[in-house]
Amino acid sequence: MIQFDQVTKRYPGSDEALKNVSFSIDAGEWVFVTGHSGAGKSTLLKLTAAIERPTSGTVLIANQNISKLKSSAIPFMRRRFGVVFQDHKLLYDRNCFENVILPLRINGVAGAEAAKRVRAALDKVGLLHKEKAMPITLSGGEQQRLAIARAVVSRPSILIADEPTGNLDASYAADIMGIFQAFNQVGVTVIMATHDALGLSASHSRVLHLNHGQLSQSESPMS
Amino acid sequence: MTNWMNHHVQALKLVLGRMRDNLLSTFMICLVVGVATSLPGLFYVGVDNLSKLSGHMQDETEISLFLKVGVSQETVATIEAALSKNTEIKQHHFVNKDEAWKRFQDESANNGDINKVILQLNKNPLPDAFFIQAKSAEPEALEALKNSLQTLPGVEQALLNSEWAKRLSILLKLGTKIIFVIAALLAITLLIIIGNTVRMQILTQKDEIEVSNLMGATSSFIRTPFLYAGMLYGLFGGLLAIAIMAGIMEAFNLSIAQISSLYSSDFSIALLNPKLFIGIIFTATFIGWLGSYIAVSRSIASFKIN
Repeated sequence: MIQFDQVTKRYPGSDEALKNVSFSIDAGEWVFVTGHSGAGKSTLLKLTAAIERPTSGTVLIANQNISKLKSSAIPFMRRRFGVVFQDHKLLYDRNCFENVILPLRINGVAGAEAAKRVRAALDKVGLLHKEKAMPITLSGGEQQRLAIARAVVSRPSILIADEPTGNLDASYAADIMGIFQAFNQVGVTVIMATHDALGLSASHSRVLHLNHGQLSQSESPMS
Repeated sequence: MTNWMNHHVQALKLVLGRMRDNLLSTFMICLVVGVATSLPGLFYVGVDNLSKLSGHMQDETEISLFLKVGVSQETVATIEAALSKNTEIKQHHFVNKDEAWKRFQDESANNGDINKVILQLNKNPLPDAFFIQAKSAEPEALEALKNSLQTLPGVEQALLNSEWAKRLSILLKLGTKIIFVIAALLAITLLIIIGNTVRMQILTQKDEIEVSNLMGATSSFIRTPFLYAGMLYGLFGGLLAIAIMAGIMEAFNLSIAQISSLYSSDFSIALLNPKLFIGIIFTATFIGWLGSYIAVSRSIASFKIN
């Protein structure tokens, strides 16, 4: 489903953020991306979600080469993913409901169908009673859950999350992991960057460990 | 198709909602567009009506054809025939010198000084004359006709009493050129004003644009609401311009009606000029669209994937 082959990414005026990275992820898998701060986790996720293009090497998503995709085709590729950003990227000028409906608008879903799906997504993350609340009034954990609701509302087949439990306390973090696990159980591919041991110890998932932009180990599920 | 409709209906709703939330600033922008558009519009109405008025007056212009003193009856008949054949002439009439002399004497009977002079003259100084009305009111055509009549044998002098009309017509042409220059300059100004307004809105919605872009929004999805905003500024501005023009023309018409009645004319400014109004609305809307298109395209270019 997702295939990296000898992928290198260099940003202008800096060293290589990723060096010769190769791996592949199958549909329905759960993959952790770990590594120290600045190891290239976010870059790897951005390349996966077609937010950036590799400097060299090929990134294949559903057998399509991102480097060769026309700019006009990129938006449609991005719609396959639900992304939870490290900084949430919530819109603070509108309420929770309006935040979650945005991906549906982009996908051209409107009216009663859209409202139904927004409420279903809010319900899954336990925020249905807060649909009229403004994001700024939510706690950190709630904001994270709102970001997850927005990522899943258009029913993507791949969920990408960049440090979703980053600055949450343990009980909130476990909560969030539970939500992702529920999605993974119904067949959604989950790719999650984390430096947090809690998630790792609790599961038998595959880990892509990055060290200074290089993949140092790729563990397969041990079951 | 329904998807496409949804996209546009939502964009329009979104923009109208934002305009309602910022009613005063929206009104201000529309007012700027309206005032800027009404200026060349008013100039145009002025020049247009002056040309109509000068057209009115040129209807009354005549070519006077004075014949040589002592021309024979045959020559007069030949000229008469030539005038009748000339297709550019609407009508003509002959005034012989005795008739003219008599009329002149009658008309100046009450004026003592002139009467004295007339009495001192013991022979009629006036020539025979034709008075001609041309079909065309164009100064150039009249001039050409006058020159051709001048060459007829037996003609002493052809006089066109519309020199002033010619000058007015040239001035009006100059006026039209000035309107075009003013309109072009104001169009550029409007383009910049609307472009800047939309650019400010893009800045305030930077987060939304960025997030939408990351979630797979197409350029057209991001662009459409701003294009509608620009077009609506143009449309509302154009409507305001028409209201402003109608108000000013109505006020002028009162005075013009008074002046007209002094000259026993029923001339007034035509209030309704659908072509002009549609032109103004269309142009303003187009400028709004273009201004926002330029602004939003520049912004979208910065989101290019690399």
